Amino acid sequence: MRSFFRTLVQTRRRVRQRATRYSLLVVILLFGLFLEAYMHNFNLVYLILFFLFATAFGAGVFGLLNIGELQASFDHAQRLYPGREGACYFRLSNPAQRFSWAIRLHCDEEVAAIPMISPFETQLVRVAITPSKRGRLQYESCTLQSLFPLSTVRFVLPIEQCLDTVVYPLPAGEPLQVFLQRQRVSFGEESDFDGLAAYSGAESLSRIHWPSVAKGEPAVKVFEQTGRRQKPVFDFYGAGRSDEARLSQLCLWVLECEQCGQPFAIVMPHKMLQSDREGIDAILTYLALY
Amino acid sequence: MRFLPISRFIETSPLRLLDGACLLVMLPLLLVIKVPMLLYMLLVFSLLFFRKRATGLTLFLTALAGVLALFLSLYGAFNFSGLSRLKLFVELLIYLLVIAVSLQRLTREINFYLIISPILLMALSLFFFHSISMLLYVLVEIFVLLWLILLHRMDGHVSQSLRMAALYFVSSLPWVVLLFLFFPRISFEHAAYGFRGDEVRRMGHDGTMYLDSKALLVPSERIVMEVSFAQRLPAADQLYFRGSLLYVDRGDHWEPLPRRLTQNSKPVFESAEQLSIYNITLYPTQKRWLYLLDLPYEAPKGATIDADFMTTVPEKIDTVQHYEATSSLRYRYGRATSPAVVEAASRIDVRRNPRSYALAQQIAQRYPDMQQRADAMAERFRAQALRYTLQPKPLDLHHSVDSFLFDKREGYCVHFAASFVLFARMAGVPARVITGYKGDLANSVKNYLIIKEKDAHAWAELLIDGAWQRVETTAFASKVSADRGTQSSQDDADTQGSLLLKKINLYLMYIKYEIETWILHYSHFRQMQLLEEARKNPGFLLKFLLAIVLLLLLVIVAIRVLRRPSCSDRVLCTMRPLLAALRKQGYEREDGETMHAFLCRYLDDFPQCREIAEIDRLYERIRYGGEDTTGAHLRLQEEIRLATIRSGRA
Repeated sequence: MRSFFRTLVQTRRRVRQRATRYSLLVVILLFGLFLEAYMHNFNLVYLILFFLFATAFGAGVFGLLNIGELQASFDHAQRLYPGREGACYFRLSNPAQRFSWAIRLHCDEEVAAIPMISPFETQLVRVAITPSKRGRLQYESCTLQSLFPLSTVRFVLPIEQCLDTVVYPLPAGEPLQVFLQRQRVSFGEESDFDGLAAYSGAESLSRIHWPSVAKGEPAVKVFEQTGRRQKPVFDFYGAGRSDEARLSQLCLWVLECEQCGQPFAIVMPHKMLQSDREGIDAILTYLALY
Repeated sequence: MRFLPISRFIETSPLRLLDGACLLVMLPLLLVIKVPMLLYMLLVFSLLFFRKRATGLTLFLTALAGVLALFLSLYGAFNFSGLSRLKLFVELLIYLLVIAVSLQRLTREINFYLIISPILLMALSLFFFHSISMLLYVLVEIFVLLWLILLHRMDGHVSQSLRMAALYFVSSLPWVVLLFLFFPRISFEHAAYGFRGDEVRRMGHDGTMYLDSKALLVPSERIVMEVSFAQRLPAADQLYFRGSLLYVDRGDHWEPLPRRLTQNSKPVFESAEQLSIYNITLYPTQKRWLYLLDLPYEAPKGATIDADFMTTVPEKIDTVQHYEATSSLRYRYGRATSPAVVEAASRIDVRRNPRSYALAQQIAQRYPDMQQRADAMAERFRAQALRYTLQPKPLDLHHSVDSFLFDKREGYCVHFAASFVLFARMAGVPARVITGYKGDLANSVKNYLIIKEKDAHAWAELLIDGAWQRVETTAFASKVSADRGTQSSQDDADTQGSLLLKKINLYLMYIKYEIETWILHYSHFRQMQLLEEARKNPGFLLKFLLAIVLLLLLVIVAIRVLRRPSCSDRVLCTMRPLLAALRKQGYEREDGETMHAFLCRYLDDFPQCREIAEIDRLYERIRYGGEDTTGAHLRLQEEIRLATIRSGRA
């Protein structure tokens, strides 16, 4: 019993309570029943009146116990892009021995409904989010809310570790394949090879250096990109006309490179980002916060 | 409920839940609502059942049908004078609400008055019903409404919402009880507020006494009043509830004194001892008498006691009356009786009963002392071998006393009392007939007594040495006819079984009375009485506080039981007693330890314990072997029972 009251007092401090419009309804009903009971001395109406009063009063205790012991924290988020629906996940655990009902997780205008959490259960709650712009996304007012049991009081439990993530630039622009083809072209003309090597008989005809063949010394052209695996280098300024367009383009290329396992480098105004040195998420974050 | 799977859900749409709530609160109102409106409700149900789309035309036609049903339901009463009756007015409100709710329901949209309509209908129904059955129904309504709200909040989770509703309901009880007892009350009675009361007709004691065929007594088990004494019940020979006094013999019947002789006279006690305080619930009699125990000492509020100690109220009693009264069980009065009353109590027509008159005169001459004379008269009556019967032969009403004493020699209280009073007057003793009720201790439990119509009684009062003395005239009967036992038809078969049933019935009546007294008719008066008793009587206060503490303890126990986490895993629940028994032996299942590993650990120490091995096998088969059947659970339960018994012995 003592622990019950201790729990109640502790949760009372944590949870904010706000009256809803149904509490007004309860007040009106109490007043009407009071008039009927008092004027006519209808004891059955008195009974209903007192039950209504007791249940409305008890709603505070039941509501507090329902939500008060829940623990919620931001767990992780999917990669978020402006204008696209993504998801972030909250870890919600119920350390109490009782079920919790009708919980809603509010993050700004985003809401996730959790109908029930069993005793000692931990759930990952998905909150759908559609960010409006790139950059850091922070919600300082994520709350757990519940109207349980009677909808007369809204119980609000603030989440201490709230949403703090990064919205990456919206991937847009020309596909990586186009970039690579263009890059290949930009490497130079057929004559722009780096040197000659002896013909082994296995090379493609297109690589045969015909002037050497004419001289009687069959040789093949050696190009720079064939010497080692090609690593595309994306130049920030060459990626678009405006910063946002460049970031979107770079983001798209980064994601495509990640998809096909292609290492890459990005030449930013004051920094060189290399995928084999920094993680993809770090590069995306850099782009997001640029 | 313990093993209800927690995934047992039902589909709950708010509209369906509201339908359920409305149906629940409408049930008692179906007894009030007139047929046209019932037909209208049937029409609405049909539309809802066939999922008729609520077009503008449908709504218009439904509204039109509603107005027509309203008109037909109130036809005849539908005028301004009719509406001055409270219940008719409330009925009109109910009809309007039913029409509004029906129209809104057909649109399938929830709005404000659709949400509050169940509570409104419930509140309106309480204008019509105040009985114990309604009390029980109201409790059911409150619980179910609470459950429906929680069911909605808990996404249709039946077992958990029921558990939560029960928890909620039980935890509200102490508040309700305390508020009910101590919330300040003002009203003493149901106020009419300009509305006329609805008439209730009931037959009963009517202030006259017939000796002819009209006097044929029809025993009735109908309850006239219920009496609760503050202390112990008085003795059986003191349970006379005084009604009217009859002085004038009209041959075939007796009448009271003309009003001019009794008005403006006050009761005068010469001595009043052994005061008894009691509460009475008197059902409507359509008469003005209040029946108080002989002899009324203090009248209830609004009632008057006249010089003959007859208690009346200004208006006919057409509603249930609850009053407290005080009576003196040992008293003396009569010296202040006016000469006109004495003269009326002495008036006799000597020509009508010559044989009796002669006999009375003999007694009068032989016994000049009035008390001895009265005793002699009583002896004379006893000597006449009179028989008490409820089906006497008709008397010769021109010579009623002679006919009763010498010819027929049988009758019941009315004949005994009338004859004795006339005989006393013939012997020169002023006498009168008192009618009322005589309580029967067989109809009592503790300090509670029921007075039924069959307890109606008549007795005599003689003015002896300036004091009125009560005489139980039926005591002069030397024989009691078998039909005395058949005052109620059931008494004939007073077997052991029927006596038991009678006793049970009496106890039920007692419980009913207590509920009515402390719940249905609880009032400012009763509240003040309770507080006064608590103030004066520390023992009562202590008992009261103990009762409250007991209630709180019961609620706490109920809450603990209801809050206990339910078993979502049936096989683990079955294993619980075993785990508890092993824990007592020092074997605790560790975190992450499988049941098999745990039981094997135990078996390592106690290899001879075959039940545990069997339990392990059964557990594995139920849990992982696809044998999750009732039979397998029963076998597991049996093995666990044996194992726990064995571990208890160990």
